[in-house]
Amino acid sequence: MPPSTLLSPSELSYLHSSLSLDLPIRPDARSPTTFRPLVAETDLLPTTNGSARLCFADGSEAIVGVKAEVERTIGASSTSSDVFARGEDGDGDTKMQSAEEEMNEERRRLARGKGQDSWIEVTIDMPGFARDDDGVVVFLAQMLQEGLVADEGLRDRLWIGWGWHWRIYVDILLLTTPNSYPLPLLSLTTHLALLATRLPAPISRIDEDPLFNDDWDAAEPLYPPSGSAHASKPPFTLLVISVEDNIFFDPSREELAVADAVCAVTVGTIDAPVSSGKRREGTPKLRLLSLRIIDPPARLAAATSGTEAEDDQGAWRPARGGMKRAVVGKMVKVVLEVGGVGEEVMTGLEGFHDG
Amino acid sequence: MTFSIQALAAPSRTNEPRSTGSDISVDSDEELQAVSSVKRKKHAAVITPGELVTDDPQWMRGHGTAATPGSTAILATVAGTLLRTNKLLSIQPLRARYTPEIGDLVVGRIVSVETKRWKVDVSAPLLAHLPLSAINLPGGILRKRTSTDELAIRTFFSEGDLLVAEVQSVYQDGAASLHTRSLRYGKLRNGVFIRVSGTGGGGSVVRARRQVWTINTANGGGDVDVVLGVNGYIWICKHSRGELVASSEEAKKMNEITRMEEAVSESMYSNRNDEIPPQTRREIARLTGCVKALVENGIRVDEEMVMAAYHASLEPDGDDVPMTMDYDEGHETHEYLGGSRGSRVVAAAVEATKG
Amino acid sequence: MPLDTSTYSLALLRLDGRRWNELRRMHAQISTQPTADGSSYLEMGNTKVICTVAGPAEGRKAGGGGGTGGDANAMVQVEIGIAGFSGVDRKRRARGDKRTSEMQLTVANAFSNTLFTHLYPHSTILITLYVLSQDGSLLAACLNASTLALIDAGVPMSDYIAACTSGSTSSYNNNDEAADPLLDLNGTEEQELPFLTVGTLGAGEKVSVLVMESRVQAMRLEGMLAVGVDGCKQVKEILDDVVRRHGKRILLERVKI
Repeated sequence: MPPSTLLSPSELSYLHSSLSLDLPIRPDARSPTTFRPLVAETDLLPTTNGSARLCFADGSEAIVGVKAEVERTIGASSTSSDVFARGEDGDGDTKMQSAEEEMNEERRRLARGKGQDSWIEVTIDMPGFARDDDGVVVFLAQMLQEGLVADEGLRDRLWIGWGWHWRIYVDILLLTTPNSYPLPLLSLTTHLALLATRLPAPISRIDEDPLFNDDWDAAEPLYPPSGSAHASKPPFTLLVISVEDNIFFDPSREELAVADAVCAVTVGTIDAPVSSGKRREGTPKLRLLSLRIIDPPARLAAATSGTEAEDDQGAWRPARGGMKRAVVGKMVKVVLEVGGVGEEVMTGLEGFHDG
Repeated sequence: MTFSIQALAAPSRTNEPRSTGSDISVDSDEELQAVSSVKRKKHAAVITPGELVTDDPQWMRGHGTAATPGSTAILATVAGTLLRTNKLLSIQPLRARYTPEIGDLVVGRIVSVETKRWKVDVSAPLLAHLPLSAINLPGGILRKRTSTDELAIRTFFSEGDLLVAEVQSVYQDGAASLHTRSLRYGKLRNGVFIRVSGTGGGGSVVRARRQVWTINTANGGGDVDVVLGVNGYIWICKHSRGELVASSEEAKKMNEITRMEEAVSESMYSNRNDEIPPQTRREIARLTGCVKALVENGIRVDEEMVMAAYHASLEPDGDDVPMTMDYDEGHETHEYLGGSRGSRVVAAAVEATKG
Repeated sequence: MPLDTSTYSLALLRLDGRRWNELRRMHAQISTQPTADGSSYLEMGNTKVICTVAGPAEGRKAGGGGGTGGDANAMVQVEIGIAGFSGVDRKRRARGDKRTSEMQLTVANAFSNTLFTHLYPHSTILITLYVLSQDGSLLAACLNASTLALIDAGVPMSDYIAACTSGSTSSYNNNDEAADPLLDLNGTEEQELPFLTVGTLGAGEKVSVLVMESRVQAMRLEGMLAVGVDGCKQVKEILDDVVRRHGKRILLERVKI
């Protein structure tokens, strides 16, 4: 899938043997879980609901713009009885502020389960892929969309009222020619853009045609921030590779070339109010949304040139066979555990957004 | 910290000149200052495309300049600084692709194999050529080339292989022709490859007195060779006796034909790495980090700076938190020279070279 | 009618408060992407463009955007990607969009005549432009961003190509004799008024690019062109300043060590 990295046999064997030591040595001396420093910027495009730009240390860079449009829900039936069932249970005379809040609460309650997958659209623009329906582009967009819709909370928040909903367009622009799997870059940039995304606050009631507060400061974040009752975070995908029994996060291009196995781990938050006292206030609990095993480039290369049976011992040969169960388990554990890599990345991204 | 993300510098700031220091002049040569009839004194050092360099007919135009038809005026065609060699005026671009010059020591990667030559990526606008006649053949330098060698061309170098070579000549169209007809040149093994931008600008390899040298590394790493290709391709590997970098005395000793033959046939075109102990691998990784940190901080890469950065990186750093994760706790800390740690190392190195 | 002629003639101010001969705020950066051979970021008002240059490098990619040049010269290839979120409404442009390909060809033609392509035979210079936000003067912004990125890449050129738009205060149908020329139109003005894009070589009078897609009386053209060329001079100064500042910073760093 990615352009295979051209490396000499001796480079490959040096890399592989360094990474498979008991105390693995990465080419840039990072620890297995250390990420290369990222540089980011959010809210750079005033014409979008949310935007972000992220640069990886290897120079690759992406920009994501999120735009939301109000759309009529096809096939939605407005039942007035549902609507007027409200109102009765209220105290009657509450302040304006709380009436609005109550309306929002009501909207949230009614929206549950009404969201649809098709309301979220992800498109990717990659240089060098002349066709929009190129397999790689479609595959990547599909993977990112899968992660987003796996979170029911997001879908439901797009529900505005009877017959109306938000449609979210996530447009991803990869600025550099992909020299390794661009998935983590695209996913983290999307994460930041969604964190920064805000939707205008509705001032109409759920049975009316939608009307919005035109004050941008009053707009509501698409993902309620930590600390609020419904805190949730966009999902993100990390790339993890394994070499022998070692696992490595944020692999560089060279490391990917000698990976025995490559895994894309998608992590999201559990969309439930914080209940257990063990966790820090407002920190959503992580859950594994998906785990995909990607064919490592080495194996693809081996498939084409595997027949050359030279007796050049010492030269490295890509591993055959699947991934060890224990290694997969280790990956998932390191990502999900309390204080693990997933939490670290999540708080890192959030901290950036807040700061 | 295992995950760090920082804000993109505010655009308004990056566009401002960083220092308010006095006027800089790269060339103290007064005559030269007089030559460039630049109106704006403040910017005397930088010349931009289309700018009049001189209209005095005594000067000849070199690279980066163009003559105007029907007049003696010489105009700049790139942005850079004026360079005067006797009566020749040329502009050294701030940044440009590597342009091969005869005698350059370059590191290259084979991209294609033809019947009598290889095509080598040396980061120049055109691929360089390495004719079969320009390499040492196993069995001694004086051996006649046969058609068998042509058939076995892939056993010497094949796609992806790295080599160190010298530019023997430059064709009319600017493509370089390489040769490896010296024991100092040939296939590269036992190490790692780094790619930085070529000559010119900050953060790149500059032509220096020595492009290849050996470091006696700390922490029991043994001798490590560094090859700085003028084209910005760098190779760092374990030192092996007498082969890659034979110092002049060693070369003399090696001058007996028999020994030379032996050395050539033994391992010249092998893809096999020697046994490399973890300590050496660790120091190679540290050196890699040093070079990358220099580049990221816009500092030239040459022997002096690499050595200074290497020594600085060996000093313990107060601000540095041990970068270990739960599951590899207890192991020694990793020396990742990215982000702020890299900047501090480079700053210390710059300080050291000043003193 | 975004440009209310009656109020314009009273205060001589446009909707965004500019006078007829004022440019919008222009901001540019050079060398924004370390991995590209050359790169730049340019804003003309709310039009934002990122440009990267790859090459000159050996090889010819078949197809792609507008490309020009024989084998003895480097081929200049241009790819323009317009982001779906760049406009007011979200709109996704297909790759083979006619307007986009025309812009690609215009940019490619302009630069294959200005760059010293004969220095790089059998090679390709690929200019990739990403439009992040559009608010008028799109072609001009693409040309200016490309100039900066090519200078960053160190590709020799005879001079800067500096571009801007100019228009006229009343539409073709109004046929207002007293119509004034306008400089640097924004998105709303472009939709209503006749306008042209002009690019000059450096700060001189040599026009290298001239594109006009709207109808206007021939008599008004001269005034528009004069204002446009004058605007290009201002743009050139701004671009030149960006390059000089960048160069100065690099030299300072070199002196530092």
